[in-house]
Amino acid sequence: MPVKWVLHWQPNQGSTVSSQILNEATQCVESINGVKEGRWKATLNYYKPLLRDQTNQAEFPRDFLGISLADQPNKYYFIIRSQRIVVEADSSIQLIMERLQSYKSKVALYFEGFQYQLGDFRLRVGKVVPTHSENVRGIVMEVEYLPISSMEKSRKVMEEFLEIWHEALSKRSLPGKFVNIDLNFGEFGLGDNYTPQHTAVRYALVMAHMIATVQAVRG
Amino acid sequence: MYSRGRWCDFTKYFELKKNNSMECVVQGIIETQHVEALEILLQGLCGVQRERLRVHELCLKSGPSLGNVSSEVRLLCDLDQPEPTWTVKHVGGAMRGPGADQISVMVRAMVESKVSKNALRMFNALGYKLDHELLKVGFAFHFQRTANISVSVSSVNKMPKVHAIDEAVPVTPGMQIVDVTAPATPVNYSEVAAAVSSFCEFLAPLVHLSKPFISTGVVPTAAAAAASLMSDGGGTAL
Repeated sequence: MPVKWVLHWQPNQGSTVSSQILNEATQCVESINGVKEGRWKATLNYYKPLLRDQTNQAEFPRDFLGISLADQPNKYYFIIRSQRIVVEADSSIQLIMERLQSYKSKVALYFEGFQYQLGDFRLRVGKVVPTHSENVRGIVMEVEYLPISSMEKSRKVMEEFLEIWHEALSKRSLPGKFVNIDLNFGEFGLGDNYTPQHTAVRYALVMAHMIATVQAVRG
Repeated sequence: MYSRGRWCDFTKYFELKKNNSMECVVQGIIETQHVEALEILLQGLCGVQRERLRVHELCLKSGPSLGNVSSEVRLLCDLDQPEPTWTVKHVGGAMRGPGADQISVMVRAMVESKVSKNALRMFNALGYKLDHELLKVGFAFHFQRTANISVSVSSVNKMPKVHAIDEAVPVTPGMQIVDVTAPATPVNYSEVAAAVSSFCEFLAPLVHLSKPFISTGVVPTAAAAAASLMSDGGGTAL
């Protein structure tokens, strides 16, 4: 499948993320001739163990999350980032987790927005919101380069595209920037050929960075 | 009388299974010497090619503090593929009560999902430990007869050391297990149960099938039935 980078909005120190920034980003895509194709949505769940004895909490992973991706409606992905584990399963795995009654989804988030075609690129810009709230917690942007599925081979063209994107966005003088996080997919057992599991890992990392940003602001 | 369909491949079988959250199941035992006759009978009844079965089944149990009740999950690794493929399976409670007693097959909650190769690592990380593991070696038929039915005939093997598949030895030498299963939903389970029950009657001369954990032993006249099948390749009606 095509290579995809997942960027997240990093606000400048002292500023926060808002729907206005999402609107600006969306308008920016349209200003560089992105053709709107429709909406997209992904869902992320943070799982917590149900424990009979809370003193044993440290034995269990604190970063166990599950994600359903817009591109893969029949699949579900689990990531335990601290242990470099990513698993792809059928959507029915969610029913299995429910029936096991050992882990429960404590926080659920939607990633939702609009999708655009821009030459050989597909862009998705979206907000991160809790499932029962309109409170924008973050903004993500997927950049997919359709002709290539090798991450190494696509690196240069992705970096060039991002330069164009950053330049276009900088004219709007927004209080922050979109950031791409590089990571070692090999640690997760993933290779150079891009797969949805790569996307799932990217989202897990984006969430970790967003949480760290929020905690830094609160700190 | 019955419609016979042919499943294109195992992938389609799993596609059907994933949309169902129950299964109908019966089990029986057969002496290894009669397995060949059973295969001939099944070949004639099912009208599909048999598939080889070589499945490593790992039963994982939750640790002592995880969950309000302890839980079990099974990981199945299909070793017969060029690249091993994994499935995670959760088997729930069986239907009980007067209604269930009247049905000759077990109807139970069951959910399956294909899963990538890291599933065992993931469940270990989540607090699930290996309780026991088995290697099932044999063959299976997957076909349609009102319901989508699977029949497997396999020897069940245990491993002297953890994951030592190559050193597996039969749990009951000379005996094999026959499993007949069919995916079902809360809406159609009685129809599926009837289809399974009806199909099992054809196997009665060789193997008696009943609800799991309610063993009725081997069929005493199986030898004669097997001889008949082997002598004419299954052409004679039993």
